[in-house]
Amino acid sequence: MIRATMLLVFAVAGTASCGSRTEGLDTSKIPDELRTDYQVFSTKCSKCHSLARPLTANISDYDQWVRYVNRMRRQPGSGISYDDQAHILRFLKWYAADLRQKAEEKRNPSKTAPSASIPPPVVGHIPEPALGQDGGT
Amino acid sequence: MKASAVIALAALIAALLALATPANALERNFAGSAQLDYQLVPTARNVKTFPQAFDGFTMELAGKLAVDFSDHVSANLKVCYGCHGFEADMMYFDVRVADELNFRVGRFSPSFGAFNLRHDPANHRLSDKPLPYDMGRMLRMRQWNLSVLPSPFPDNGIEINGTKSIGESAQLDYAVYGVTGFKADLRPTDINFQLSRSPQNYYTDNNGRPTVGARVALTYKLGDASDVTAGMSGMGGTYDPENHETYFIGGADLALRLDKTNIRIEYLARRTSFDVSDRAVFKYNVAGERGNFSVKHGAYAEIEQGLTPELDLVARVDGMARLGNVEAGSELSRNASVVRYTLGTAYAIERGLRVKLSTELWQFSDRDLASGRKLELTMHAALAGSF
Repeated sequence: MIRATMLLVFAVAGTASCGSRTEGLDTSKIPDELRTDYQVFSTKCSKCHSLARPLTANISDYDQWVRYVNRMRRQPGSGISYDDQAHILRFLKWYAADLRQKAEEKRNPSKTAPSASIPPPVVGHIPEPALGQDGGT
Repeated sequence: MKASAVIALAALIAALLALATPANALERNFAGSAQLDYQLVPTARNVKTFPQAFDGFTMELAGKLAVDFSDHVSANLKVCYGCHGFEADMMYFDVRVADELNFRVGRFSPSFGAFNLRHDPANHRLSDKPLPYDMGRMLRMRQWNLSVLPSPFPDNGIEINGTKSIGESAQLDYAVYGVTGFKADLRPTDINFQLSRSPQNYYTDNNGRPTVGARVALTYKLGDASDVTAGMSGMGGTYDPENHETYFIGGADLALRLDKTNIRIEYLARRTSFDVSDRAVFKYNVAGERGNFSVKHGAYAEIEQGLTPELDLVARVDGMARLGNVEAGSELSRNASVVRYTLGTAYAIERGLRVKLSTELWQFSDRDLASGRKLELTMHAALAGSF
């Protein structure tokens, strides 16, 4: 009886105390032009792991994302084509800029940083930038 | 040349390549996961009558560091903590010549099957693994000597792998490898999985003969949010110090993703020969022909359905069948089977944090000697997080 109660308490407490929040982003806060890119990102990048992994990786450097997504594309069974990669990276370029903007606002609460701009669409394979170069944005 | 020499040489080359790059070229990514699971076995009246289950709390932790040394050389280190303490799940170098050709050397789980890519508890929606890959949560695990291939199965060796995009719709993956392989003592009746991952006899090969294996898989894009992957895997080698006893594991897998629905089917079987020089250790008479091996089959089929952005529903049927002689003290018969039915949910309470709840009904072919039962029930509640 004690053990069954523990199981129940454990489950209910975990669920009730935190409310609920989707693993992904609130799509209403994503620019209309990037919704398709986000859709590809959320579909492809949740196949083997939770979507929280990339969203909480706190990578704000675009070049690092390019290398990271290329690495994921090479994972067995990833199903990420070059076309998918272009969509994913377009979203992540905006997401990285948004992270930098939020970090800047945190450092200087009095200053309002400009909103992250919407990257232009890219078609085809995006090659990996060489390591050791200054991080692109 | 022995596998250990090949590994040492490859590791040296990788290290030299890494040292040849400027220090500021290093790029590091850190990730981690944890799962606390509580397993309740209501059919067990007390622990003494049902000792063969990890009921109660189990904790799994993992931390992973990926380091890019250059555009072509990277390293991965993953340390995990589970029921048997700390373990190096990964410590390897990748030397990538092209997408289609990558050399992996060090400690890693060789490419086998579809599930192992998702073996981290943060990457699957139920608390436990499919039965063919179970590593200790299954009921009667000692009687069964675990599953067909307990996952993960980190081992020391070298793997050549690659991926080839075929147009925009298809991806072909392959891997071939040589690793230390599983172990047992002299004159074994089965693989000793504890010895295989224990430092008791050093982390070295017990017989100097690598286990070899390969995998090939094809992924085809069906639509914007749909794809299908079909794969085949095999590995084989010897596992006793005298290289007398062999094992071969073969498997096939199919994974279909249709938008928010995932359907996965996998089958694997292990044929393991054993020593019959002392016939007294066996429960049944040793047959003159084909009496020196067992075959353990395992399969699962599961459907994972996203109901809302926060909630996933999972239904799974999995099972194993073991055919062949058993040790005299075993509670298994020569044709033993188990089927498990699972219904579970995973609920995201915060980004990166999930509550997992599931109920499992077990149907064994053999009665448990202590309880006389064939049917068992287990319930899981877990909290799993990743970053």
